[in-house]
Amino acid sequence: MEMSHEFTLVLAKSFGLFYLIALSIGITAYAFWPSLGNRFDTAAKSILDDEDGPCR
Amino acid sequence: MWRKLLSPFARLFEFQAKTHYRAERHSMALTIGIIAAASVGGIVEIAPLFTIDDTVEAAPDMRVYTPLEQAGRDIYIREGCYACHSQMIRSLQDEVDRYGPYSLAVESQYDHPMLWGSKRTGPDLARVGEKYSDDWQVRHLVDPRDLVPESVMPQYAFLLETQLETASLPDRLAALRTVGVPYTDEQIENAASDALGQSRPETDRADGVAERYGDATNIRTFDGRTDLLTEMDALVAYLQILGGLTDVAAETQPARGE
Amino acid sequence: MTQLKSGERQLAMILSGLVLLAGFLLAAAGHGDPMGVHGWIVVLFAAVILVVAMRALDDPEPTEDRTMSYYDDPTKVGIVIALLWAVVGMGMGVWVAAQLAWPDLRFDAAWSSFGRIRPVHTSGVIFGFGGNALIATSFHVMQRTSRARLAGQVSPWFVLLGFNLFCIVAASGYIMGVTQSKEYAEPEWYADIWLVIVWVVYFILYMRTLARRNEPHIYVANWYYMSFILVVAILHIVNNLAVPASWGGAKSYSLFSGVQDAMTQWWYGHNAVAFFLTTGFLGMLYYFLPKRAERPIYSYRLSILSFWGIVFFYIWVGSHHLHYTALPQWVQTLGMTFSVMLLIPSWASAGNALMTLNGAWGKVRDDATLRFMMVAAVFYGLSTFEGSFMAVRAVNSLSHYTDWTVGHVHAGAMGWVALITFGSIYALTPVLWRKKTMYSWKLVEWHFWLALSGTVIYVFAMWNSGITQGLMWRTYTESGTLAYSFTDTLVAMHPYYIARAAGGALFLAGAVLALYNVVMTIRRVPDHAPHLDYPTNSEAAEPAVPAGE
Ligand code: HEM
Ligand code: HEM
Repeated sequence: MEMSHEFTLVLAKSFGLFYLIALSIGITAYAFWPSLGNRFDTAAKSILDDEDGPCR
Repeated sequence: MWRKLLSPFARLFEFQAKTHYRAERHSMALTIGIIAAASVGGIVEIAPLFTIDDTVEAAPDMRVYTPLEQAGRDIYIREGCYACHSQMIRSLQDEVDRYGPYSLAVESQYDHPMLWGSKRTGPDLARVGEKYSDDWQVRHLVDPRDLVPESVMPQYAFLLETQLETASLPDRLAALRTVGVPYTDEQIENAASDALGQSRPETDRADGVAERYGDATNIRTFDGRTDLLTEMDALVAYLQILGGLTDVAAETQPARGE
Repeated sequence: MTQLKSGERQLAMILSGLVLLAGFLLAAAGHGDPMGVHGWIVVLFAAVILVVAMRALDDPEPTEDRTMSYYDDPTKVGIVIALLWAVVGMGMGVWVAAQLAWPDLRFDAAWSSFGRIRPVHTSGVIFGFGGNALIATSFHVMQRTSRARLAGQVSPWFVLLGFNLFCIVAASGYIMGVTQSKEYAEPEWYADIWLVIVWVVYFILYMRTLARRNEPHIYVANWYYMSFILVVAILHIVNNLAVPASWGGAKSYSLFSGVQDAMTQWWYGHNAVAFFLTTGFLGMLYYFLPKRAERPIYSYRLSILSFWGIVFFYIWVGSHHLHYTALPQWVQTLGMTFSVMLLIPSWASAGNALMTLNGAWGKVRDDATLRFMMVAAVFYGLSTFEGSFMAVRAVNSLSHYTDWTVGHVHAGAMGWVALITFGSIYALTPVLWRKKTMYSWKLVEWHFWLALSGTVIYVFAMWNSGITQGLMWRTYTESGTLAYSFTDTLVAMHPYYIARAAGGALFLAGAVLALYNVVMTIRRVPDHAPHLDYPTNSEAAEPAVPAGE
């Protein structure tokens, strides 16, 4: 198959664009998924007091 | 003692055997996510460049570096000249006026690695070849402030005293061929002799250089010393060929300027 | 050593023995070449470790239950090494800066020329200081946020010491002229291969420690550290692909040439900025800043969003180092566009950090440690703004090749990277060594002002010098010829070069204070809590089922 420069270019650009869009939607969804809110809050607070040693 | 020393190997073996490695879900997902997000940009930008040969200007007259020039290039790298000198004239009017036609992709086609540079503490060198005499170059390298009082460049007087190591040149050219520079078997075999020959005009060795690299090759005693082939010879030979591997830039550029 | 079981001590011996052997091989193969010298350096390094391990071989076994405590020894050593490298690397920086002001300041030796010692500075501060700080703090953060001990006793030492061996080989190599010339990837092939081994062990260690953690969610600081480890590995391997001229010498030739090499190099180069100098340090920021301020991060969601934004966008921007060059224009445009978009997640991170401090300004005023972190966040915001601006082609046509770039680099490197590191070290030292406070808060205060003034002087000097030079280069006389010769610009820049050296000296003085203060804290400040601490909170009292088992 002929991999011409033009062809790889078009492929790279179109694929890149879709990838960009898909990824940003996915991540925004993850970050704002309502049921994950609690987990995030716990995580954010969890570091404030962690000098007590490991649990195992 | 020996027992003690050997026991960990046994344990390593056990560890191998029970590789119920915790392929733990979250950290794996994170790993894959990072790789996925991070790799695509590179692929999209870099991959097409490998098909770029379609679009790059053709330069039928392009020649390779002679062994002496390549040795000089290696010294240029060793001394870190690239930290202060670029070899990439951008397509801007003032740069073209100052340094000459802007650099084309083909011109660094055989540069492994490229030395485009990122900082101009000193001027660009992409077309410095034949801009000054050999003598000027040598004196300037020995003591830059002798010729340019304001210069901040270090002195490289020791190059003039150091014998050039030529025994490894065949290996080096062969490695370069592996990565894509079209050296012939003959060029590789005679690399060490050619390095000396390029600095000794009117000798049999010099004829060999002209035969293998073309009549246009600079064959001169670059450093003015006929008793010793020095690192200065190599470095100056390299500097004098910069911008001279092909004439395509000068031919194709009716100053574009942006 | 006291915390290692005898089996682990043997393992340590065997590993250092293997490294020793490899050193001999290198020395034999590279006889008469700088590579041979490197071989002997490796032998020496490994021999010292071997002796240490051997002498401890018959020591009594550790008595306490090790799983009950964090493993902090590697972190401690790493912090001290990082500070040593800070002094060396920044000392080199001041020397390099002085050479540009007074070029004869170099004893007339071959090894001391600007071109050879400049990479000692860059690698010394980035890898020596930054890298060790990252490794040390990552060990700390991964243990605390996972509430788990490091998954290994020997591997942390392997990673830390192995990495330092790499740094030493790198720095000594530049002085002998061993370099690939690729900025920030100068070390030759054998050092590169060694780094890959170290890095793989590092990654496995991180994954295994995370796998021991107690709750499903991984705290976001670890994400940043992970991306640092992972992406640096990818970048390092691709950019360093090269063919050695022979197995008996250091010299190798890059697999790529010309345009492809330039793009690969700056894809690497800018992502070294991104994943070495940014994400790892953001991991530090996301852990130590909330911790020190005693407030959770302002928005955890935002930290996740900006994480993916940074990981995704950064990879594209390398081509902004190659504007107006022979690189195809579409790649340049792509780099420019993504660079500008990159400002969004960058500012989101900086803003997130500053909003966390909102309401705690009193603390910032009183506590120099927290102030280090705050100012670092501000400089992060500043240098990313500047970077995005410089990535615009029209701006870059002026700034490229000039000291403006150097000013930008140091606004990021001194203002952001070094300040966040110093802040984190000051926050971490008392915790690690179980001391109540640092030896002297006054010295911390002094360091803060020295560092800040040094950075400001440096950056302003370079902005002036860079913009002056850029403008002089492109000035035409009325008759249409160039107005200034290259040497005219050198004369104009001389005063700025002196100012830069002075600013750097202030910054260096601060780093020396930091080293002194940390050492004195370890030696003089009385212990605060017992060295070994037991789980006290309810969560830990009932043995939780570790994730993934
Ligand atoms: C004591 C403070 C420092 C001084 C005096 C100093 C000085 C210098 C000098 C003179 C250069 C060469 C610039 C040129 O070629 O024109 C340089 C380059 C560089 N320095 Fe520093 N530096 C200091 C601190 C740092 C720190 C803390 C870091 C990183 C964490 C750093 C990272 C770099 C980098 C990456 C470069 C290369 C820049 C480029 O290629 O454009 N420096 N430094
Ligand atoms: C949004 C973020 C950033 C963008 C878009 C950006 C953009 C740029 C641009 C356009 C250049 C000049 C390239 C040239 O003309 O040669 C540059 C150089 C550089 N930047 Fe940044 N920058 C950003 C953040 C940072 C940060 C936070 C650091 C931290 C240390 C940093 C370190 C560097 C270094 C070391 C160089 C010099 C590379 C070299 O020439 O050797 N950048 N950056």
